[in-house]
Amino acid sequence: MKRILASSVLGAALLGAAAIALEPGPFTAEQSRTGRALYAANCAACHGSELKGAGEAPPLAGSTFIAAWGNRSIDELYNLVKASMPYGNGNSLDADTYRKIVAYVLTANGAQPGNKSFTGNENIAIATIADGKAPVAVAEAAPARGGESGAPRPATSYPATRFGLTVAGALKSYDPVTDAMLAHPKDADWLMYRRNYQGWSHSPLSQVNSANVKGLQLQWSWAMNDGGAAQVTPIVHDGIMFLSNTANTVQALDAKTGELIWENRVGPAPTRAYGATRSLALYGDKVLVPTTDAKLYGLDAKTGKIVWQTVIEDAKEGYSNTGGAITIHGKVLVGLTYCNRYETKHCFISAYDVNTGKVAWRFKTIALKGEPGGDSWNNLPDEFRQGAETWIAGTYDPDLNTTYWGTAQSKPWTRASRASGAGATLYANSTLALDPDSGKLKWYYTHAPGENFDLDEVFERVLVDHGASKDVLTIGKVGVLWKLNRVTGQYEDSAQTVFQNVYDKIDPKTGIPTYRKDVQNSKIGEWISSCPGPAGGHDWPATSYDPKTDLMVIPLHQSCVLMRAEPMEKKIGVGGDAGSQRLFEMPGTDGNLGKLAAYDTKTMKALWSFQQKAPFLTGVLTTDGGVGFVGDFDRRVRAFETATGKTLWQTRLPTSAQGHIVSYAVDGKQYIAIESGLGGGSPVGKPTTLLPNIHHPGNGNAIFVFALPDN
Amino acid sequence: MRQALIGIVALLALSPASMAWAEDFETRLSPSPLTDGTRINIAGEGRVKASLDGKTLTISGDFHGLVTPATTAQIYDGLGIAIPGPKAFDLTVTQAMSGTVSGSVTLTAKQAAGLRAGHFYVQINSQKAPDGNLTGWLLPPHPFAGEDVPVAGAGFLPQLDVPQKSGGR
Repeated sequence: MKRILASSVLGAALLGAAAIALEPGPFTAEQSRTGRALYAANCAACHGSELKGAGEAPPLAGSTFIAAWGNRSIDELYNLVKASMPYGNGNSLDADTYRKIVAYVLTANGAQPGNKSFTGNENIAIATIADGKAPVAVAEAAPARGGESGAPRPATSYPATRFGLTVAGALKSYDPVTDAMLAHPKDADWLMYRRNYQGWSHSPLSQVNSANVKGLQLQWSWAMNDGGAAQVTPIVHDGIMFLSNTANTVQALDAKTGELIWENRVGPAPTRAYGATRSLALYGDKVLVPTTDAKLYGLDAKTGKIVWQTVIEDAKEGYSNTGGAITIHGKVLVGLTYCNRYETKHCFISAYDVNTGKVAWRFKTIALKGEPGGDSWNNLPDEFRQGAETWIAGTYDPDLNTTYWGTAQSKPWTRASRASGAGATLYANSTLALDPDSGKLKWYYTHAPGENFDLDEVFERVLVDHGASKDVLTIGKVGVLWKLNRVTGQYEDSAQTVFQNVYDKIDPKTGIPTYRKDVQNSKIGEWISSCPGPAGGHDWPATSYDPKTDLMVIPLHQSCVLMRAEPMEKKIGVGGDAGSQRLFEMPGTDGNLGKLAAYDTKTMKALWSFQQKAPFLTGVLTTDGGVGFVGDFDRRVRAFETATGKTLWQTRLPTSAQGHIVSYAVDGKQYIAIESGLGGGSPVGKPTTLLPNIHHPGNGNAIFVFALPDN
Repeated sequence: MRQALIGIVALLALSPASMAWAEDFETRLSPSPLTDGTRINIAGEGRVKASLDGKTLTISGDFHGLVTPATTAQIYDGLGIAIPGPKAFDLTVTQAMSGTVSGSVTLTAKQAAGLRAGHFYVQINSQKAPDGNLTGWLLPPHPFAGEDVPVAGAGFLPQLDVPQKSGGR
């Protein structure tokens, strides 16, 4: 009965009917009043001072919130907030603080305080007390966003400090990075995101091998900034490690000793869940720094001083860069993320002169009306065509002079919320082949036309040759490993790596998938199953390709979701992902969320695989020593034999292993650098919900460098 | 001697039929679909084995770790693996936070086909999770090699409805 009532109230609220009187909320005015300041301190950094949400932080007020939560109970909201917030540090505040924050959130949705104190046990449908319309007093007195000047900072924020060149120093010498170096990197270097232009995440070093890897010892470690997600890649050139931290702090360290040479706290302090770019880039005498506030900086590699800076897009509108960069022919290419609001603007890939920061070109990743592919959006007005973010930097084939980028799904997540019908929503969830000099599109291939479940196909594009066949491989959240001809974009082959129930079939000639009937026909408010769920299959922890064995080692995640499409008001400025989720274990996995598998990229057959409870949260590294490395949610880092998957060595870090493992050499000695890191989206959030018995500290971003003993 | 011979012949006559019809299924029971907000009431785990002998499906299993006592248990007929569907049969379940679940039901040919395609799942409800506390999809036996233990190939992928795609050129 309560549900029926809630549905009625919700329906009325959505239709704008004001006749239904709301009952007083089960909280006091005092709880709501003090909750406002607590919200500002702990929540506003991600969800915004006006509770509108941003990026992956959903709106906590208004019609979108009520649509998602109106039928759910207040105690479920309280339990969710308590268990999972502040993001990455669930249950870190006292219960009274959580109660007051929830009271404020309810007030901001039009709930009126009553006489009873909120206890957290109230099984009352939210739509019976709130309609999503903020009282004027609340709307006008929205608390300042945490992290902004003078406002309280979120509990997980970067410590208050000064910014700028905080440690002055200079490299004794620096060999400028050239196109030739990038095309043929020295064995000792790790010059870019996944080491080479082909995106292999493979080191040709072999000093550490399957026979001696058990002798690895810690050489040095370095605590990194906490606050915000850290999924970084150490970049190493001639014995210098360039390290990106949260707050867009960049450090130059002696890669042999861990001694700090210079530090530039570019800033700003993290005001959102993402705190550090996944990868810096090098070119000439510059370190290129795409920042989380959607700017791009050119630093002097010798001193860390800012030479130039430019704005990629306006961060005040929510845009960000987390996906790193790639440098080609004197240009730095970057993507853009958080393009999930209805705007007249759209997401794009862009290129800048490495010496001046001057923009060279932009490629818009959304096809608008009248443009090629513009008829793939069910005739939606241009401003309601969003998403297709590029939150993983591309790769590059110098011979073909083509750069390959993946795009994310269209927004909102579901077909029903988008109102995009069966349209492919170009160029979302596609591989884009671009001319790096002009930004001109050479070809595209859409892996998941009209995606429906937050199943990105944005991840690394790995370039592999098999004789005369020039292939590009990629794997997305649905867990299908795709192989395309990278000259033409023609589909070649695919292989399924985890159980999936999203597609009824994949056309063997074209690779075009057919969605289940109930997915095709899904409507607002229906719970629809998806295996895998939004953590993948495969997510940002990158694959590694070993050219000696032709094996691609893939970190995989196994969980499922019921997703409910929520209504999304078609209005400029409104935004979000508009999908509610309920998570569950993937059938047939025995509760093992983690899976590591090795695929022969010629035959597309799996050679070996193993499972474990904890999902993997680092990219894989393989080496010419026949040894691979990977780290997980449960703080473990292991070395495994590439040919067999057998674990050869393991250790544990202070908190979850996260980021991209790299290998480099200084003075002839091979090092393995591994990050412990926190934060991020589904790959961290889903296991946090599904594996409550796996614990790791809520701080501890750091780098750990291992090597064999000198003797 | 003659009696023994008759017995052997009779056994040979019966065995192929009974062996041909005996099909085993199994599942781990794990928390039903949840959020951070509902997992406080949706917890626990268990194991269920099932055997289809002719038209008779026999279920037996155990569970533990519920937050509130189990109330009911059913077999559901999903639309596919991990795709929920309507309730098909009631099972007997211990009305406690740990215990057993069991039942024996008769399947139609269509239901048996659904079972073989992985569409059937066991669900245990509890006082504070009346719409699902533990769920497990009945699948062919799939022994787990153990954490970190490599196996040849991709491992168990229950693509019973949608065959695994590979080699499409």
